[in-house]
Amino acid sequence: RDELPRLLDDGHGVLEMPSGTGKTISLLSLIVAYQRAFPLEVTKLIYCSRTVPEIEKVVEELRKLMEFYSKQTRESNNFLALALSSRRNLCIHPEVSSLRFGKEVDGKCHSLTASYIRAQHHSNPSFPVCQFYEEFDAVGRQVPLPAGIYNLDDLKDFGRRKGWCPYYLILHANIVVYSYHYLLDPKIADLVSKELAKKSVVVFDEAHNIDNVCIDSMSVNITRRTLDHCQNNVDTLHNTIHKIKETDAAKLKEEYRRLVEGLKEANVARETDVYLSNPVLPDEILQEAVPGTIRTAEHFVGFLRRFLEYLKSRLRVQHVIQESAPQFLKDIYDKVCIDRKPLRFCAERLQSLLRTLEITDIADFSAATLISNFATLVSTYSQGFTIIIEPFEDRTPTIANPVLHFSCMDPSIAIKPVFQRFQSVIITSGTLSPLDIYPRILDFHPVTMASFTMTLARTCLCPLIVGRGNDQVALSSKFETREDFAVIRNYGNLLMEMSAIVPDGIVAFFTSYVYMENIVASWYEQGILENIQRNKLIFIETQDAAETSMALEKYQEACENGRGAILLSVARGKVSEGIDFVHHFGRAVIMFGVPYVYTQSRILKARLEYLRDQFQIRENDFLTFDAMRHAAQCVGRAIRGKTDYGLMIFADKRYARADKRGKLPRWIQEHITDGSLNLTVDEAVQLSKHFLRQMAQPFRQEDQLGLSLLTLEQLESEEMLQKIAQVAHQT
Amino acid sequence: MASLSEEVLLVVKKVRQRKQDGTLYLMAERIAWGPEGKDRFTVSHLYADIRCQKISPDGKAKVQLQLVLHSGESTTFHFANESTALKDREAAKELLQQLLPKFKKKANKELEEKNRMLQEDPVLFQLYKDLVVSQVISAEEFWANRLGGVTNTDPAQYKYKQEVGISGAFLADIRPQTDGCNGLRYNLTADIIESIFRTYPAVKQKYNENVPHNLTEKEFWTRFFQSHYFHRDRINTGTQDIFSECAKQDEKGLKSMVVQGVKNPLVDLLSLEDKTLDEGYGVCGAQPSTSNSNRTVKESSNYAIIKRFNHHSAMVLAAGSRKGETPTDQASETSSTDGNSRDSDFFQPPVKKVKLQEEYEDLQQENRPKTVPLNLKKSDRYAHGPVPLQSQQYTTSQDIINSVNYIQHEMANYKPNLTQVLSSTVATSAISALSPGGVLMQAGAQQAINQMVPSEVQGELKHLYVAAGELLRHFWSCFPVNTPFLEEKVIKMKSNLERFQLTKLRPFQEKIQRQYLSTNLTGHLEEMLQTAYNKFHIWQTRRMMRKT
Repeated sequence: RDELPRLLDDGHGVLEMPSGTGKTISLLSLIVAYQRAFPLEVTKLIYCSRTVPEIEKVVEELRKLMEFYSKQTRESNNFLALALSSRRNLCIHPEVSSLRFGKEVDGKCHSLTASYIRAQHHSNPSFPVCQFYEEFDAVGRQVPLPAGIYNLDDLKDFGRRKGWCPYYLILHANIVVYSYHYLLDPKIADLVSKELAKKSVVVFDEAHNIDNVCIDSMSVNITRRTLDHCQNNVDTLHNTIHKIKETDAAKLKEEYRRLVEGLKEANVARETDVYLSNPVLPDEILQEAVPGTIRTAEHFVGFLRRFLEYLKSRLRVQHVIQESAPQFLKDIYDKVCIDRKPLRFCAERLQSLLRTLEITDIADFSAATLISNFATLVSTYSQGFTIIIEPFEDRTPTIANPVLHFSCMDPSIAIKPVFQRFQSVIITSGTLSPLDIYPRILDFHPVTMASFTMTLARTCLCPLIVGRGNDQVALSSKFETREDFAVIRNYGNLLMEMSAIVPDGIVAFFTSYVYMENIVASWYEQGILENIQRNKLIFIETQDAAETSMALEKYQEACENGRGAILLSVARGKVSEGIDFVHHFGRAVIMFGVPYVYTQSRILKARLEYLRDQFQIRENDFLTFDAMRHAAQCVGRAIRGKTDYGLMIFADKRYARADKRGKLPRWIQEHITDGSLNLTVDEAVQLSKHFLRQMAQPFRQEDQLGLSLLTLEQLESEEMLQKIAQVAHQT
Repeated sequence: MASLSEEVLLVVKKVRQRKQDGTLYLMAERIAWGPEGKDRFTVSHLYADIRCQKISPDGKAKVQLQLVLHSGESTTFHFANESTALKDREAAKELLQQLLPKFKKKANKELEEKNRMLQEDPVLFQLYKDLVVSQVISAEEFWANRLGGVTNTDPAQYKYKQEVGISGAFLADIRPQTDGCNGLRYNLTADIIESIFRTYPAVKQKYNENVPHNLTEKEFWTRFFQSHYFHRDRINTGTQDIFSECAKQDEKGLKSMVVQGVKNPLVDLLSLEDKTLDEGYGVCGAQPSTSNSNRTVKESSNYAIIKRFNHHSAMVLAAGSRKGETPTDQASETSSTDGNSRDSDFFQPPVKKVKLQEEYEDLQQENRPKTVPLNLKKSDRYAHGPVPLQSQQYTTSQDIINSVNYIQHEMANYKPNLTQVLSSTVATSAISALSPGGVLMQAGAQQAINQMVPSEVQGELKHLYVAAGELLRHFWSCFPVNTPFLEEKVIKMKSNLERFQLTKLRPFQEKIQRQYLSTNLTGHLEEMLQTAYNKFHIWQTRRMMRKT
């Protein structure tokens, strides 16, 4: 590899490397090498990525690495690496796996594998159970997985051959690859990642959005619908309790006894029974016994009722209310006399009850679970959260649609256990600039912070900032000129001209759905879209994920068969986050406007305030940082390696400003020349033509030798070593 | 020419052509016109020869129909029957409109094929010039057995003709024009109509249902352009619109496409996230307005536009990839992969495997053995290198010495046997016969032809040979003459041959004579022609005898 990241194995690090330069493989090979050299220092590598395809890619890279190892050392190594995913991606039960949505799969799986179901099966063999799980439970538990690299499909394959359920094959592997929700979301992390050794290295790949993931995992929204559902759930609970009392009162007694002994005991319930575990519970709570007020089933149901009624009354407000968690707790104590302590146990208590009552269809109880989680969260954290109650949506003030947002403002809360627990955490992505802001908002102290650039044999990216139209109208998506027809027309011109000169695929990003819809409509009225259609087919992202997937596939098909296509998409949308546009799928990316987040939202305002108070980050800095990382993320979709090439067009004059430009990743920044700062559409077209013609020439290995590709001799030569040292020093 | 077996599709009386009254006949394969009161056609065009038809504008006093041929000529018919002129013309036009495309394709295909053959084969091209352009034989005769041969020999080339895709902007090409008085005019060509049908099968279905029973073609298209189906941004209002059903059908199609999902797991946004947050969790900062009810009218029309573009592009793409008999093969593929991949994961979509394994070619290459490029200083030495010694034929010096000794030994013992020698006169005559110009060395003159004759004459001779060969081939292929058609042909070919001799061979012979070259250059050609004539005469006399 051409870059040698210095990895410090006794601290945390932030690394920015452009995509396609082998970020994954360099990290993997380094850590694996370390792991082999000091097997006691680093016992485990946990590699977290964002999407399923990315996870699978990592495992494939790992497989290559291991093949190389065994070829070089001529001995088979006993590494065990595997990818983990949800039941939806791993289930091999013919009936269950045919379901399309994760929630359904989880629910169905639970209904086939829960312990009491299996007990019933014992007495009555016609009762359906999952034969794969049975097989696994009978045989597979003791037999370890043979060493090797297992991707999701390999796991399924293995499971099918043995007749074991692959989902429960979670084992002590050397390397685990999974989605970072599994580590960050306390509701899942409790399940999957609890037993990970302290001496593990954790890598967060594609982590530019990690703060939002943290926040999402800790935030709760409650609408009137949720409360109604919850009401039903509570009624069902009540009825079931009544029924059980008549038939099997001992069961409830038993539960009561367990609860007295403390939550620790309750937690030892079988793994299959746990459906959605509680949010982070401080350890001291687990030692305590569940408070007496909610220990019996009837009391707890009554308690839930009271809490529910209280929430309902809060949602009946006519104006927006914002308050902190302690205020909320005080209010609830004053109004319905609910203490803080039982609230904290609410989530755990509900789980226990659901288990005792042998309720099969846990998916139905998602509303009650949500409420109880909220109760636990609100009573556990006094800092970093805010409660906002909005009686209606801003856009439709006449329609009452009250929502209670319980929103986390401090991403460090969710990620703190990770930093505390593991000796080394590495956060990496193609776009992490400016680097210093991540340690601040995630509240940790990195040992290394580095931004690497690409060593290129040819300049394969061409960032252009288009600030003016041909008629010298300033191009910008800022609020004042948003509806301006001149701007919209010039944007249309830009896209049209580009569609005529760029081969194959073009991806265009807008700042938001609403903005895109408006622009598309007015382009349609002005006939611009028709003219674009002469050159390429047009596909547009919609808010429906299935529809967008289809558009995306058709887009790729059109690029593939040479017709060429344009994909109109939205920054922060699903496409900008997870889809790569390799080679001809994206020869040009056009970013229309600066993708600022919608600033009028109260939640965002609260978060900005919090950031300012707690971390001394100015509002504007954060907003710009957020906008620029999304812009970079969008634009970076097109370049996936040194043999790839693409145009990056920033169509907004604000990009030319130093404060915006400076926040782009270094590998993009260094290719922006002063000459390409404020171009008109025509000038940009000329530059692009030149660039594309040059890039279309064949690119051979010889051209790269010595620059971005080193032979073994070159690598060992003195001169090159010096050069590498120099580069390493710079960063 | 006018064989009575032809099916007459339409007869229009009182049609003028060159100021002459007459009757227009539309037949199965051609259009013909004969002057009044006569029994033959003065104008007759095969449909395949017609490039297009033009009609005079509606307002004009003269109701006319013009046919433009591929050769560039045109024929104009004037419909002169005052009361029904317009109707007659419309009828003729409609019929032609249906007939022409059928023949057009055939004609185009043939023309293309001929063109290609001529371009690819210079000899053929020369032959074509020699025979057809100089009007020795007609073009049809020239192609008569050529095309057949080609199409028969490699049908593969012919079968897989490339489907032409549809322009993404075909709807944009139908620009409405204002006709001055508050109306819009759309110009539709056959291509555009075909594009619309191929892209929107629903419209085609409607067309088949309604035209011509309920609506005329014109009305149909008028309604099409008026409908909200065409202007999708307008909000659906009327239900009596025949296209509202089309819109619904499209909607359904789109939905089924969506439901089917995508076969490439890398673009499936639904399964991208490993774990989605449960309902109720997460910050919903920019939560989309989930219910359609609170969308404003403008928003929903915008949404409709977006949807329409997606659908349109998808349909255009599908129409392009739809090949003849296998409609939406990709759709069936999708369903099969989708069905399989979920149930049995033994089957993994190949795309996924390929995509997951990113390969760096530049890194791969290093593993291969390095090849040394071939660098030739003298390429001719490489091409004709010295003949390598073969070990079996290699003679050692000892062998050579031995053989020399042996020869010496033989020579020493040589005794001439003079009684059996030839006489000197016989020897002289033999030598003279074998020297150049002698009896046995006649062939030597031909060998010398490339020195004796200038190259242009050689070239000309070659062309003559080729042309003559072609004609003779036609001629001889007529034997045995057992049908009247062949009889006719053989007579024609005979005259062709004679014409060839007269117009091509004679001038050439004279030219050679002028240049004082030996005339027997063309001897063989004449001989061949003579053989053909002889054959013809024999055949003719035999026929005469049979007749008498």
